[in-house]
Amino acid sequence: MRGLALAVSLLIGLYLTIYIANMGGYVDRIRKAEIREQVGVQVLGDPTFKQLPASEQRRIIDERVALEEKRLGLDKPFILRSFGYLARAMTLNLGRSEHLTSDSGSRQVRLILLERLPATLTLFATANLLLFFLSLYMGLYLSRKYGSLLDKITIALAPMSAAPGWFYGIILILIFASLLRLLPFGGMVDAPPPKTTLGYALSVAKHMVLPVLAMTLSGLFISVYGRRTFFLIFSSEDHVELGRAKGIPPRALERRYILRPTLPVIITNFALMLIAMWTGAIILETVFNWPGLGRLYYEAVQVFDTPVILGETVIYAYLLALTLFLLDIIYAIVDPRVKVGAGAGAAA
Amino acid sequence: MSNDILLKVEDLRLYFRTTKGVLRAVDGVSFELARDRAMVIVGESGCGKTSLARAILRLLPRNVHTYSGQVHLDGTEVMALNEEQFRRQVRWVKMSFVPQAAMNALNPVVRVGDQVAEPLLIHNHVKSKKEAMGRVEEALRLVGVPLDFMTRYAFELSGGMRQRVIIAMALVTSPVLVILDEPTSALDVLTQANIMNSLKRIRKELALTYILITHDIATSSELANESMVMYAGQVAERSHAGGFYKTPFHPYSKMLMASVPTLREDKELAFIPGKPPSLINPPEGCRFAPRCPERFSKCDQDPPAVTMEDGRVVKCWLYTGKAR
Repeated sequence: MRGLALAVSLLIGLYLTIYIANMGGYVDRIRKAEIREQVGVQVLGDPTFKQLPASEQRRIIDERVALEEKRLGLDKPFILRSFGYLARAMTLNLGRSEHLTSDSGSRQVRLILLERLPATLTLFATANLLLFFLSLYMGLYLSRKYGSLLDKITIALAPMSAAPGWFYGIILILIFASLLRLLPFGGMVDAPPPKTTLGYALSVAKHMVLPVLAMTLSGLFISVYGRRTFFLIFSSEDHVELGRAKGIPPRALERRYILRPTLPVIITNFALMLIAMWTGAIILETVFNWPGLGRLYYEAVQVFDTPVILGETVIYAYLLALTLFLLDIIYAIVDPRVKVGAGAGAAA
Repeated sequence: MSNDILLKVEDLRLYFRTTKGVLRAVDGVSFELARDRAMVIVGESGCGKTSLARAILRLLPRNVHTYSGQVHLDGTEVMALNEEQFRRQVRWVKMSFVPQAAMNALNPVVRVGDQVAEPLLIHNHVKSKKEAMGRVEEALRLVGVPLDFMTRYAFELSGGMRQRVIIAMALVTSPVLVILDEPTSALDVLTQANIMNSLKRIRKELALTYILITHDIATSSELANESMVMYAGQVAERSHAGGFYKTPFHPYSKMLMASVPTLREDKELAFIPGKPPSLINPPEGCRFAPRCPERFSKCDQDPPAVTMEDGRVVKCWLYTGKAR
């Protein structure tokens, strides 16, 4: 049941993406116009056709346009083609891009994506894991020190998260790259790239400092604040109170009476955070000139490269559906109140 | 009164910070309790009964304003201990607690048997897990919980069974004092009677000292040796149970007793007009005066705690001339 529901929502989500990425078929018209223009320039610029009468030239242009449209499948109505996209997307047949190429020159969407993946994962795994565990431990710590100066400072700083990471990115670039000249403006490695592995890693690390810092500045305080409040609410539950009355040491109380019962929530956050890395961050990667999936998305949108947009989306959708499915199973393992079984569905 | 005093509370105060001001939940409470006795604390909702229990147990919320006074327990001044000493020497070693909200008081993700065993293992009462489980079985048998419940989780148990498990947990380390905060108020009448009977039987078998907090005066009379009536954060009357249930002194106690239904007598149930004063900026003088049928001019000043000839204490101007 749960699997089916996920599959249906996956299908709907993907179709919407296809529809939106093509602007409801409008992209087809743009591309048809582009083809006509290109073919026109080609034919009219070709000396062999120069002598032909205008009507003959027009016939040749029409012929070639029709051929090109047929090659790209543009002769069929958009609705039909949209289902073709959907079928290919669902079977993970990512196909070929329309404009973009990988650095190695390939038009395979799979190769284009694979080329960008390490860059995005390196940056976002570092930033997100740092953010996740930092906010977990700081939240726990602050819930213990409720009302302390540090607690008040964190609450006061929480509105900093109203600004996105790239906003702090620009400011950080101004300070550390432009003014102090300590760190690079952007990119992933020095040019030319260092020869040794260690040198390469160090260079990447140096380039990562500012984007990671920008994301941390933007995300940390609100997540610490959220976690702290979450733990505060849970630590006044009746069973925690009784645990305290029983004389359970504070650390064990936190582990067994606060973290254990809230584990499903924490695991969910962690899993969603993990798959969110896949999409990268469009503006942040653009600001830092980071060659990741987020920037690829931006580039693909600019040139209406539907297969690339779709490729990124479909993989994210599959990851999301798979994660949600796995989470259901994990819940049943970590929380005895959840039982997976025939007809149980998502019993809570 | 016995000389073997187990618990002596002196001028205990617990004030909370609220947005409207300081709330005086427990305002200078003093009492003594001898070993092997059961004391019942009664009073209306919001009179500070539960706060008193929490003050003795040091289970404080985050918005504490004042927490002062002395609590001597079994020869130790526990208020002088720091949190870690208190945890090691007092919590569940000397006194245990059965809370009001038994439905949610068990950890939802730990098996019931393990939870009952937890205090034994923490406080090193046993050498092995196996020995602990033996003690758990003993305790569960005592309160009437089937032993196969040990491997279950709290959500698989009924309210009554959960309450029994918590009582078993409170007994498993053999503490000298058990504080029960309305242990049966969330349960149906049959289960209430069942648990009350178990409590009575266990007390006889183990020679325990109880503090039972309740607003169910009728049921509590079954168990009590001593009674204490609280009103607006203060002690209105303190008495041995016989005297209190037959001839209460304080006008509030009298009216409280008159409101209890009895089966055979054909009496009109009385109620107390008005409502208890706010514990934020309570009125000067006697706190019951605005609702008291016997009030007179002196009631504008705070009444002293008058000790009567049979050791009973009543905080009322009516008795100042009759002190021993």
